[in-house]
This record gives sequence, structure tokens and C-alpha cells, in this order.
Amino acid sequence: MEFLSSICPPEILCQILVGLSRATILFIVASGLTLILGVLRVPNIAHGSLYMIGAFIAFGVSKWFGGGTTGFWMAVVLAPFAVALISLVVERGIFARLYEREHLMLLLLTFSLALILGDLVKMVWGGEYRTVQLPGYFKGPIPVASLPIPIYNLFLVVVGPAVALGLWLLANKTKIGKISRAAAVDREMVGAVGINVSWVFATVFAIGCFLAGMGGALVSPIVNITLGMDHTLIMEAFLIVIIGGLGNVWGALLGALIFGLTQSLGILIWPQFGIVFPYAAVVTVLIFRPTGLLKSTW
Amino acid sequence: MKNEMIIGMSAVLLGFLAASFSFGADTIKVGIIDTYTGPATAYTFDVLDGFKMAINKVNATGGVLGEKIEFVTRDEKFKPDIGLAMAKELVLKENVDLLMGTINSATALAVSDFAKKEKIPFFVTFSKSDKITGEQGHGYVFQITENTLMAGRAAAFALAKKPFVKYWIAGDDYEYGHAIADGLWTQLKKLKPAVQLLGQSWWKVGETDFTPYITAILAAKPDFIIVATGGSGMVNFQKAAKATGLAQKVPFYQHTAIELSTLEPQGLDAPEGVYGTANYLFYYPDTPENKAFVQEFRKTFNRYPKIGALYGYVTGMLIEKGFAKAGKVDKEKFINAMQGMVIDSPVGKLELRACDHQLMLPMFFGVTKKVPSHPFLIASDIVTIQAKDYMPLCEEIKALRK
Repeated sequence: MEFLSSICPPEILCQILVGLSRATILFIVASGLTLILGVLRVPNIAHGSLYMIGAFIAFGVSKWFGGGTTGFWMAVVLAPFAVALISLVVERGIFARLYEREHLMLLLLTFSLALILGDLVKMVWGGEYRTVQLPGYFKGPIPVASLPIPIYNLFLVVVGPAVALGLWLLANKTKIGKISRAAAVDREMVGAVGINVSWVFATVFAIGCFLAGMGGALVSPIVNITLGMDHTLIMEAFLIVIIGGLGNVWGALLGALIFGLTQSLGILIWPQFGIVFPYAAVVTVLIFRPTGLLKSTW
Repeated sequence: MKNEMIIGMSAVLLGFLAASFSFGADTIKVGIIDTYTGPATAYTFDVLDGFKMAINKVNATGGVLGEKIEFVTRDEKFKPDIGLAMAKELVLKENVDLLMGTINSATALAVSDFAKKEKIPFFVTFSKSDKITGEQGHGYVFQITENTLMAGRAAAFALAKKPFVKYWIAGDDYEYGHAIADGLWTQLKKLKPAVQLLGQSWWKVGETDFTPYITAILAAKPDFIIVATGGSGMVNFQKAAKATGLAQKVPFYQHTAIELSTLEPQGLDAPEGVYGTANYLFYYPDTPENKAFVQEFRKTFNRYPKIGALYGYVTGMLIEKGFAKAGKVDKEKFINAMQGMVIDSPVGKLELRACDHQLMLPMFFGVTKKVPSHPFLIASDIVTIQAKDYMPLCEEIKALRK
């Protein structure tokens, strides 16, 4: 890594790496949100709650397997599936009956769902602080150009592109991907050619929520798993989806990169007001491109 | 958690029972308003349990002045408007003699104002706004816990003796964070004028990922970092400090960093070498009084007492001793008796200062360390800072209240 410090100062390099790791989490969550928004046209406020539930389940799974290396990997693998399963129940039970309603109704519905899920989490897990143990090899920092970077953050930087690649393959190389892209453009036409649109929606919803759960599971070792962890994230995810272009997964990637990097670099430049930078970036994007950076599917 | 929930729930139910079966007037009734749902319960259940322990002891020996002490609880859900409504309900419908609570500063100030109007003594157990006994203080409010100004000054008192010169301040961008940091920095500048402030970082409350802040602070190369976080930010920051190896590169201070509430949930993953202050540690001071308190608490509740347990316990004791000294169940006599009263406690003799009704608790300053005897970190190299060394002077209080 030493050669890198010759091109740019170590503190900037450091902030970029940390920013990329943050962008990974944001991208994973926001891509699920934008997928659901694009195909189902549902602005799912409860997406953040599913992210939180993902983190709580990751904690439960990790503890079940006694923590450590096994616990961590089982949590990261199982928690997203558990969240997808929960979301499938919610979709079949509630959303499937309401797709034809107007957006405002759906917005209110998902908002109330977020409140209900939040209270359920409180009832099931309570309000204590929790944490998922990292495997030994992910613990601690590694020096990058003389400054310490947590190893786990570097791992996240690798996970981000892998998830993006997976989503690309899903959208372009699989049948469900192709059908869902078609359904995003014209759902009646898809139904007319004999495809069960309702189940396409269910699958896409579950995939989107799988991503929320995955974000929650991946973030669980570095944050305090607690009630309210969904609030800021859902807001940031929506902003990312909006600046990226509604329903566009690549837009979510771009938005997450902008958000993560302006945040980490902003902190370095002006630490007292570091939190302002990502929001300033959002405003700037919306002034010049009100419909988002990439093409919206809406 | 489940156990705590059950304990909390049963406390509430018992409270109701106690309320409905007390026909005789021969009781002293305490109305407790606190947050009994959500993350704050990590602190508030201990206050309640400590209080229960104290009054059970009093009631077992016949109560005070022949009257038993009983209590009712109300969950204010961390919302000041609910808290105030409940205080009114407790006073007007339940006819409580005293009010007690809460962890929320805004609720504490609202209830304090109400208590002043209704002339009901109010014991603030956990909220740390310096306005409670400072500019909005009055004759009916009593503060058990230290406040933000005092916490900052206590840390400054200990840090002034350390060799650090170049400081960085970082914290939660809200009143608690700024109040602790300001209190600390102003006092530190006064005690050791050579200190320099390299810069500050402020993040939004509820920030979960501190890594970018820490790497940016490390790039500035300070000698020491003052971290003004509260609530869940305590644990989150320590996790990020562990992951980045911050504590080994640059030492830092957090108020309550050494407290069990912060260290227990992290187990052995908490960072070593973090400086902190706290009013109570179950293993220090190593006196028979503290040992007896810990033993009894563990026997009753099957866990170590955290900081809140001391607050609840001494509140119960103050109420008993206050009425005993007053010689009559009369609110005004009780308040007169309380002023300047000294009680024995697990942490030694404590005075309730007459000029501002602030309890004079000692503050313990220490640094986190792994020990073989516990599955979590504890404080080592503990220094006791006496209340007189970090409390605002009575003249300062007088000036504030004008």
C-alpha cells in the first residue's frame, strides 16, 4: 500500500477507504429499496426496519452459534434469508392486496408498518445494547500508509462490488431479472403474456428486503444493535435512491458512493460540520438533475 | 433483558397493587416517573431496583415515623409531555407525597417546574442537565446524580495532572455533548493554561459509524481526545476505537466510559486504556459498606449494581432519613431537614448541599483494563475526586439563579 501514499496524502487515502466501506452498506440497503421502488412502485419506509431486524437476527444467529468465526459467518448468511422470509409474509399478507392503491396510501401503509416493526423489535429483543462478535482475523486495524484502517472496513470495500456484480447478473442473466425489468416498464403487458405478475412482485420484494437484511447483518459487528438504528439509515437510503434516479440500481450505487465519500472526506476537511457535506451534495445534485443522476424507471 | 423486563413489569404491577390496597393514610407515597421502555432502560431499571432495595429495608423495620414508604411508577417513554402529564396525574389523582425520576433532562425540567408550583419535593435521579440545580433550580428540587458541568469539571481536575497538551474535542452534536465538552474544556484551560485545542468534530446524535471521524482525528495527531458522547454513542464509539486501534495510538476520555453500563455489553471486546469518570463502581471503593451493598443487590436481583442502583438506593435512604429528621410527615419540614443532611452510603458519607440541593457524590476517574476476575473490562488506576473539587461553588449557583 505504500506506493499509494506517494500519489495522495495518507489521510485522504484513509478517508476514501473508510468512505467506500460506508458506501457499501448504503449501496446494499439502497439498492434493495430502489429495486422495490422501481418494480413494485412501493416507497417502502419499512425498509429501514427490515435492515434493523436483519441486524437483530444476525445478533441472535451469531449468539446461537456461540459467536466467533462460525457465529459471524452464519449470521451474515442466514440473517438476509430470514429477513427475506419475513418480507415475503408481509408482501403476501398486506402489499399483494394493495398494489393498485395510490402512492400516498402505500406511503402511509409502509410508514405504519415501520412503526409496527419497530415496536415488535422492542417486544422481542428489548432495548439493550448488543453487538456481534467479529472473527479474529477481522478484528483490529491494519496500517494503510501509516494510518490505521479497521480490517473489517476493507472487507466491506470488497463486498460492495461483489454485491453489485451479483445484482447485475441477477438483472441481466436470469429469467426473473428480465421479467422484473419488463414489469418495471409495463406490468400489464407482462401479465398479458401469461406471467403471474403477483409472484414476480413477491420475488422482487423478497430480494429487495434480502438486501436490507444483508446490510443489517454486515453492519451488525461495527455498530451498536439497538432500536432507532433504522431511522437515519432509511432517510439516507431514500436520499441516495432519489439522487441516483428512482428505481435505478446503478443510480443507487452512484448515490451511495457520493454519500459515503462526501461524508468521510467532509469530516477530514471541516470536522466540526462534517455532517453537512453529504446533504449539500444531495442538494447540488438535485439542483442540476432534479430527476436524479441516472435514468429513473418511473 | 427478559429478566429485567419481567422485573420492570412486575415492579409496575406491584406498584399498582400497592396503590390500590393502601386505604390507610399511614404511608409515604413516592411517585416515580422514568423511562421504562427503550434503550434508556439499561440505566433506569437499576435506579428502580436500588430504590426498592432501600425502601424494603426501611419497611421491614417498621418504616419511618411508623409509616411505610410505598411507590408507584409511570413510564414516560422518554417524552417530556407524557412525563409532565404523568407527574400531574400522580400528584392530583394518586396523591403522592414526593416525586422522583427521570433520565430525560427535558422531562426533569418540566416536572421540576410543576413540582415547584405544587410544592412537592422532587428527586432527580439520572438526568444530567446543569439547569436542574443551576439556573432553573428551586427549593423543591433535589439532584442525586452529577450534572454535565460537574462531570466536565471532574474530568478536567484529573486530566490537568496528566502530561497531555494537544487536545481534540469530539462529540454528539446536542446539548449533553456540548455541555460536557464545554464544562471540561473551560475548567481545563483554567487549571492548566498550556493546553491547546487542535480542532473539534461533532457528529449527529445516533451516529453509528465513527470510523471516518476517528481516522480524520488521527491524521491531526493530537495527544488526547475528549469524547463527549452519551447513551448508545458510548458503546458505538468504543467499538470503533477498538477496531481502529485508537486507544493504543491516542488516549481518549469519555464520561462514564469506565461504568458497568458501558463496559458490560461489550464483554472482553471493549478497548483497554480508555479514560473515564463515574459516580459508582461496584468494586471500588473496596469498603465493607460497598461490599455489603453489592452483595445484597446481587442476592436480590442476580446482577451487579450499575450506577443507577446507587442513585436509586441513596434516594430511598435520603427520603427515610429526611422524614426521620423532620420528625413529622410534612413536606416543608422534610425539605428543611434535608438541607445539609449527611447520610452514610456505599460510597461513604454524602452531604446534600443546602445551597442548591445537590447531593455531593465523589467521582471516580480511571482507565479501562482487562482483568482475569470478570468477563468484562473494569477501571484501574482509580483516582477519587471529591465533590468539593468539581462542584460549582454556591456563589456560582446564586449568580446562575438570578
